[in-house]
Amino acid sequence: MDGRVEMEEFSSPVGCGATLSDSELSSHDSADEDLCSEAGSQTKLQFRCVVLKACWNDEMGMAEIMNHKGNLLKSLGINRSGKIYLSIEETLFLVQIGALLLVDEKNTTIYLREIYSKVAEEKCGCSWEGFKVYEHLKSLGYIVGRLGIPWSLKSSRSCSTGSEDNLELNNKAQNIVDSTSIAESFRDLQLNEVKLLCEDYLPNKLKKMSPEESEFVVHLPVYEVYLPNSQFKKTCPGDPNYVVYSASGNPPSVFDIKELERQSNDLPLKIGHVDDGRVSLFSFDKVDLPALP
Amino acid sequence: MGPRWKGKGSEAKALAEPMSEIVSVLQSSLTTSDCTGLLSGSQVLFEADTEQSELLNRACFGRVIITSQKDKHWYELNSQEAFYLCYMLRCLKIVGNDGAVKSYDELWHFMISKFEMFPEFFKAYSHLRMKNWVVRTGSQYGVDYVAYRHHPALVHSEYAVLVLPERNGNSSGRLGLWSDLYDTIRLCGGVAKTLLVLHVFGIINENDSPICLKNYRVETRLIQMDTTTNS
Repeated sequence: MDGRVEMEEFSSPVGCGATLSDSELSSHDSADEDLCSEAGSQTKLQFRCVVLKACWNDEMGMAEIMNHKGNLLKSLGINRSGKIYLSIEETLFLVQIGALLLVDEKNTTIYLREIYSKVAEEKCGCSWEGFKVYEHLKSLGYIVGRLGIPWSLKSSRSCSTGSEDNLELNNKAQNIVDSTSIAESFRDLQLNEVKLLCEDYLPNKLKKMSPEESEFVVHLPVYEVYLPNSQFKKTCPGDPNYVVYSASGNPPSVFDIKELERQSNDLPLKIGHVDDGRVSLFSFDKVDLPALP
Repeated sequence: MGPRWKGKGSEAKALAEPMSEIVSVLQSSLTTSDCTGLLSGSQVLFEADTEQSELLNRACFGRVIITSQKDKHWYELNSQEAFYLCYMLRCLKIVGNDGAVKSYDELWHFMISKFEMFPEFFKAYSHLRMKNWVVRTGSQYGVDYVAYRHHPALVHSEYAVLVLPERNGNSSGRLGLWSDLYDTIRLCGGVAKTLLVLHVFGIINENDSPICLKNYRVETRLIQMDTTTNS
């Protein structure tokens, strides 16, 4: 990727272990520009001036942010008990563009090679295909999270005001959360949460039973995607615009599509296909062709 | 992508003369004249008088065969069109070389013997025609059918249609590779059409008759590739 990287020295970073309330985290003020706050082509991608720092937690398979700086974290990472955690795909994306410095518990820098290995091992709920789709969507400015994982466990008061439609939409999102049994607040962040939509739930399980039939393979993670929105609030994100499944093998059969629709509670869905480094998103929406006069 | 009408006044003209009415008049005209068509290969040849010829053109059934005859016009109907007029609209009888009128069952089995997926392809054709869409062959575009909102003289076709039989719970394997999807969608986009897939679900046995058509289910899906986000 082209671009100039400007490094700033850390100026009084918030130390590891300091906490902020969730509402403070989501409205942190900063003079820095948002990274790709609007959808645009990859060539418009600019490297950040302020670098975030995070500490990798192998057990969780996530990175804990050590310094809450800039506006990036308004739509990246999940807020839990005053801290922000990044998934492997978020971590890798930020490190690739020079916006994040990743260290281990000994404060030793973890370089790209090691992060790529972690993705290749698929132990953090993300595959290489999954990462490519994430990277593609993020580069265009979309807000991307893992389906079923709440951005924040607290919801702001203003969330439930509005029309009945909004309530219905909120309930829909809530159904997904409930059905994945993480409705209770966390005491400790469990690794199970990030493995939420594990292989047992996906059509992959059917593949193992009858491999000679459908060869549509879905890769983790499953994403929920929001259109670029500078007003995005983790405490009240609303319903995602669509759900994205990363796929390889063969295209989905109609039975595969129906199964995915069922799993994503009928939110609009798209299938992301990675082909020679390029990502294309396909939709297979059911339609009722109108009867003409 | 909405309908692209050709020229001013086309949309109004289409509204003034809905396809349902045109087809209905064609149906009455053929019925009253007790029309018959001749089975030839898997096509049906039909000799139309001037009035019938005009109706066939307006309703977009068949293609005219250029002959020197001035008062009679020969039309070639493909198997779907012929079977639709014969079985669904009951306005055309079809005879074989022996001159005997073919029964629905005989025709059905004959069409299947020529083309195994005839049941699903016919169901899809019928599904669209019943909704008053004009359906023509899509072979110029590498698809099965193209669907028009009205007569092709008035409007461009919006949809490139592929029929995907899901016979007895099994997918056909069409669009079975990613490259198939890319190819078809690129082509559709290049000719300003959206890919419409008609999945036809049915339990189909060898000894079935066309009555079984009622039990097939059609599910329509639009397959699109994101143009806003794709690299």
